[in-house]
Amino acid sequence: MEALRVISSTTHPLKHLFRLASFSKFTPSTLCFHCPPSSITVASAVRSRRSSTSASPPSTSDRDAVRSIRLKKVEELRATGFEPYAYKWDRTHSANQLQELYKHLANGEESNDDKDCVSIAGRIVARRAFGKLAFLTLRDDSGTIQLYCEKDRLASQFEQLKALVDIGDILGASGSIKRTEKGELSVCLNSFSILTKSLLPLPDKYHGLTDVDKRYRQRYVDMIANPEVAETFRKRAKVVSEVRKTVESLGFIEVETPVLQGAAGGAEARPFITHHNSLGRDLYLRIATELHLKRMLVGGFEKVYEIGRIFRNEGISTRHNPEFTTIEMYEAYSDYESMMNMAEEIVTRCAIAVQGKLIIDYQGVEICLERPWRRETMHNLVKEATGIDFAEFGSDLNKAKDVTLSSLNMGSNNQEANSIRACQSIGHVLNEVFEMVVEPKLIQPTFVLDYPIEISPLAKPHRRHAGLTERFELFICGRELGNAFSELTDPLDQRGRLEDQVRQHNEKRAAAASVSKVSSAEAKKSDDDSYDVTLDDDFLTALEYGMPPASGMGLGIDRLVMLLTDSASIRDVIAFPVLKIQQ
Amino acid sequence: MDGTIEEATKAVAGLSVGNSTAQPEAGAALSKNALKKELKNKQKEEERRRKEEEKAKKAAAVPSSYAQKSLAADDDDMDPTQYLENRNKALSALKTAGINPYPHKFHVSMSVIEYVEKYSGLNSGEHLENVEISLAGRIMNKRSSSSKLLFYDLHGEGAKVQLMTDARISDLSESEFAKFHGGVKRGDIVGVVGFPGKSKRGELSMFPKSFVVLSHCLHMMPRQKPAASSDIESVKKIDAWIPGSGRNPETYVLKDQETRYRQRYLDLMLNSEVRHIFKTRAAVISYVRRFLDNLDFLEVETPMMNMIAGGAAARPFVTHHNELNMRLFMRIAPELYLKQLVVGGLNRVYEIGKQFRNEGIDLTHNPEFTTCEFYMAFADYNDLMEMTEKMLSGMVKELTGGYKVRYHANGLENEAIEIDFTPPFRRIDMIEDLEKMAGLNIPKDLASDEANKYLAEACTKFETKCAPPLTTARLLDKLVGHFLEETCVNPAFIINQPEIMSPLAKWHRSKPGLTERFELFINKHELCNAYTELNDPVVQRQRFADQLKDRQSGDDEAMALDETFCTALEYGLPPTGGWGMGIDRLAMLLTDSQNIKEVLLFPAMKPQDEPPVKTP
Repeated sequence: MEALRVISSTTHPLKHLFRLASFSKFTPSTLCFHCPPSSITVASAVRSRRSSTSASPPSTSDRDAVRSIRLKKVEELRATGFEPYAYKWDRTHSANQLQELYKHLANGEESNDDKDCVSIAGRIVARRAFGKLAFLTLRDDSGTIQLYCEKDRLASQFEQLKALVDIGDILGASGSIKRTEKGELSVCLNSFSILTKSLLPLPDKYHGLTDVDKRYRQRYVDMIANPEVAETFRKRAKVVSEVRKTVESLGFIEVETPVLQGAAGGAEARPFITHHNSLGRDLYLRIATELHLKRMLVGGFEKVYEIGRIFRNEGISTRHNPEFTTIEMYEAYSDYESMMNMAEEIVTRCAIAVQGKLIIDYQGVEICLERPWRRETMHNLVKEATGIDFAEFGSDLNKAKDVTLSSLNMGSNNQEANSIRACQSIGHVLNEVFEMVVEPKLIQPTFVLDYPIEISPLAKPHRRHAGLTERFELFICGRELGNAFSELTDPLDQRGRLEDQVRQHNEKRAAAASVSKVSSAEAKKSDDDSYDVTLDDDFLTALEYGMPPASGMGLGIDRLVMLLTDSASIRDVIAFPVLKIQQ
Repeated sequence: MDGTIEEATKAVAGLSVGNSTAQPEAGAALSKNALKKELKNKQKEEERRRKEEEKAKKAAAVPSSYAQKSLAADDDDMDPTQYLENRNKALSALKTAGINPYPHKFHVSMSVIEYVEKYSGLNSGEHLENVEISLAGRIMNKRSSSSKLLFYDLHGEGAKVQLMTDARISDLSESEFAKFHGGVKRGDIVGVVGFPGKSKRGELSMFPKSFVVLSHCLHMMPRQKPAASSDIESVKKIDAWIPGSGRNPETYVLKDQETRYRQRYLDLMLNSEVRHIFKTRAAVISYVRRFLDNLDFLEVETPMMNMIAGGAAARPFVTHHNELNMRLFMRIAPELYLKQLVVGGLNRVYEIGKQFRNEGIDLTHNPEFTTCEFYMAFADYNDLMEMTEKMLSGMVKELTGGYKVRYHANGLENEAIEIDFTPPFRRIDMIEDLEKMAGLNIPKDLASDEANKYLAEACTKFETKCAPPLTTARLLDKLVGHFLEETCVNPAFIINQPEIMSPLAKWHRSKPGLTERFELFINKHELCNAYTELNDPVVQRQRFADQLKDRQSGDDEAMALDETFCTALEYGLPPTGGWGMGIDRLAMLLTDSQNIKEVLLFPAMKPQDEPPVKTP
C-alpha cells in the first residue's frame, strides 16, 4: 500500500497548497487526506486513520487563504481554455464495479484489452505526487479506486494535474486497468478532466469527527469525510422502501393528507402554528395523520397508508426532532391483533433488507427480532416489575397513589412522586409507573397491550376488560417504536373522549398557570401546556357517516432507522436535523 | 343477566310509547329471548331498531307499515336533524341494553372485488349453497320486494355486489328478519355470511344467512338516482373508467363542489369515479418512484422547516419553534438541500414531498402541493430531457394503455382535446423561437437597459400586459407565455432560458446569456423545470446578488441568498442535472381534472366559520 508508506509525513494541508501554488514540482507532494487508499472495509479504514498523525483543522484564515489560491487556479484553468465546472461526464463504471470486475488481476498485471478502457468520476480524497508519477484516490458513491498517473502517458496533462488538482476536486478520468505491484487496483490514466474545482479544504478527518455540531450543520462535509455516514442514509432509503413494499404487497394504497390543518388532532402535542395570508387564518402543522386517514376508511378505502412528515413544537433531544417521519396505516375489518402481526412483518423485513439477519446489535446490546415477539398487558408488566396489582384498586385513585408511592419508595418531594400525585386517574397512575419503571427495561421487542382508556382517546374500549382499550405500543431498546389500536368507531363515545381531552388539557393548563407565579421552574412547565387543544369537528362528523371496524398503527420511521443502523441519536438518521441557532 | 335485559327492554319500550303495531311483536320477541343467549341480543337489537324505525316514520308523518313501502323512500322525506336524532336514540337504546352497536371485529373471507372476480362466471340461477363466504362493505342501496325478501347493494373498494336477502335463507325467524332489516339503513356498514349465486336475471348476488351491522350511518346519505336499474348501470359504467379518459363531474350523484371537497368521504362513497382519481394519483407517484429506483436513485428526506426559504421564489409560511425560540419557514422547494447531498457524495437522489407556498388558492394552486425533484451527478439537461420523455410517455402508456390522453381543456361543455405523449417531445428554443414567432430582434445582452426597453415596447405592441415591476425577466415571461406556451398543448420543451430568469441554472456552454435549462409544457401549463445545475460558487453568488437587485426593484419573487448553500458549492458540486415536476398537475392531466382540488384528498378551503352570504 503506497499510501501508508508516504502517509507518515502528513503535514499541514495549507503548506502544501502554497507549495503547489509556487509550482515546486520536484518535491514529492504528500498531501494526504486521511482516508483509506482503496475500498477496504470501514474497520481497517479507522485503523489506518488512527495510525496517521493528524493535522489540526484549518482555521478561518487558513480557509480563506486556501480559497483564494484555488480561485486563482480556477482563473488559470479558464485562461488556458479549460472549464473548471464541466457540464457532463459519461462514466462506464463505478469504482466498486471495477474492483469486482478486475478482482482476478494479479499484482503487477495490466489489462491491455481495448475494451478495458474505462471511464470513471468522483471526488479526489488523497493525492501523492512524485517527479514522473502521481497517485490519486478517487471516491464515488460506490467506493474508491486509485488513479495511477504517469507523466509518459498523460504528457502535458501531467503538469496540469500536479499543479491544479487538489484534494476535494471532482475528476473525470479514463484509462486502462492495472494492479500495482503492491496490489492496488488502479486506473492507469490516459486522460482526465477537472469536472468541479473545489474551493475549500476538506476538514481533517480526525478533528472533523469530533466537531459534532459541524457534522450536522454541514452534513455534506460529514458525508465526504465519513463514508459510513452516507451509508446510513442509503440504509434509511432502503428501510423506507422496504416498509412501502411490505404494505403495498398487502394491498395498501398510499395517500397524501394535509400538513396544514384547521385543527391539529390525532395526538396530544404542542403544534406549530402558521398563518395563511390570503385565507387570513391561522393554520396548524399536523401532529399526526390519523384523523384524515380514518376519513379515507369512511370514504370506502379499506387499506390506506401514508408515509409522511409530522411536526411537533417540542424540545430537541437524541430521540426528538421537531419534524419526523412516520408511517400510519389503517385496515378495515381488522383489529389490533392483526396490527401486531403487521408490525412484526414490517420490522423483520426491514432488518433483513438492511442487515441481512434478525439478531442485531444496537449500541452494544444484542436485539433478537425473531418472531413472535413478547405480548404482555401493561397491567402484568407493571405487576411483574413492581409487585403492584392495579386491578385491585377498583376506582380508588388515592389508594392507587399511596400504594404506588410507598412501594416504589419515592421520596416525598422528588419530581417522580410529584407527577404521580398530579395524576388525574388510575389509568394515568398506571401509565406513569409504566413509563418510569417498565419502559426502560423493555429492551427486546415487546408489545405492551391494553392501555387504560383515560390515556387512549382514539382507541376502542376493550371487548372484555372494562376501563381498558384495545391498544398496544411496541417497544424495542426501551423506546416506543409503534402505537396501534382497534380504532374507536362510535362517534358519540369519540366526541365524549375528545371533549374530555380538551377539558383535561385546559385544567392542567389552568393549574400550571396558577402555580407558575411561584417558581420559575414551574413557569416553564406551564409554558409546555400553554397551547390550545382543538377539537376536530369535521372528523367527528365523518365518523357519524359510519367508519368500518378497523385497526390502525403508527410507526416511527426515524426510530426504526436508528435501530437498524445502530445510531445513537435521531440526528444521525435525519440528514438535516433542526439545531439551535448558531452564535 | 335477565334483570338487565328486562330493564333495557323497558327503556326501549319507553321510547316507543304509543306505537301500537310494535307492541305485540316485542312481546313475542321477549319470549324467544329465553331460548338462547346469542339470539336474545340479536333480537333486542332488531326490536329496538324496529321501534325506532316506527317512531321515525311517525315523526315524519308517513302513515304506513314498512312491509308495503320502501323504507329508504320514507327516510328521504325526513328532516335531516330528525333523522340523526332518531338514529342516535336507536343507538343509545342499544347501549343501554348493554349491546355494543360497534362490534370490534368482523372476519372477512374475501373482498368484494375478489368476490366479483371469482363468481362472475356463474350461470344465471346457479347457487353454490355449500360455499361459505363472508363479505363486508357499505349498503348503498336498499330495495324491498316484500318483508321477506330484500335487495341490498353492498359496495367495497369500488366494487359492488347484490345481497339477495331472503328470510327463508336467513338464520332469523320471519318476524325477527322483518324487524332486523327494518333497522338497516342505506349507508350502514354491514358484514354478511352466506353463499354465492346468480339471480335468475343473471345478476351476481350473495345470499346471506347471517347479517350484522358493523357501523351505522347516522346521517341521511345524499340520494343516488331513484331507479335501482340506473344505479346498477352507473356502477358498471364507472368501473370502466381508466386514467386518460374523459370525466364529467356534472353527472355525479353528489355534484355540490363544496360538499365534495369538504367531505371527501361522501364524494368517495357516492361518486365511484373519485376513488379512481386517487388510485391514479397513487399510481403516478408509484411509477415515478419505480422509474428512479431502477436508475439507482436514492429516496431521501430533507427538512420542511428551514431557517431560510430557498430554492425557489415564493412567499413562504412562517412558524415559530417555542423552545428554541426560533423563526422557521416552511420550505418552498427542496432544491438547495438535495444539492448539498450530491456534494456529500449521494450522486443520485430524489425526494417526493410537500412544498408550501403562502399564495392564493385557485384552479391550479393549493398552499401545499407535491413535487418530485431529482438530482443526477454527471448528467446534463440533454440527458434529463430524454429521461423526461421516457418517464412520462412510459407512465401514460402503462396507466392508460396508449400515448393519448383526453382532457377537457376548454370546459366540460366543449369537446375534450387529445394530448399526445408519444416521444420525442417538441423542443422550442426560447429566445430564438420567440424572435421568429413575434418577429422580434431582442438585444443580445439581456441584462442591459436596452433589452429591457425593447421588451417593454414589444409587450405594449402585442398588448400583453405585464404588471409592474417591469423587470426584463417578467417582460420576457409575458411574451413567452403569449407566443410560445400557448402553442404547447402536446408535451413540448421550452429550452435555453436566459440567465436573468434562472438564478440556479448553469450558463449555456455555447450561447452567451442563456442557461442550460428546460421547462416542459403540457396543455399550456408548466409541468417540469430542469437544468444543468450551476455549480460555480462564484457565479452562484453573483446570480443571487442580481436577484437581490430585482428584489429591491420590487419583485418579491426574486430569490434570496442562502449562504449555507453557497458554502456547500465551495466544497464542490459535481456536474449535475436537476429536475422538478409537479405531481398534482400531472395527476390532473391523467384524470381529466381542471381543478387541482379534484386531485387533492383534502384541499385547502376557506374557513366555514362565517355563514355564507346568500343571495336572495
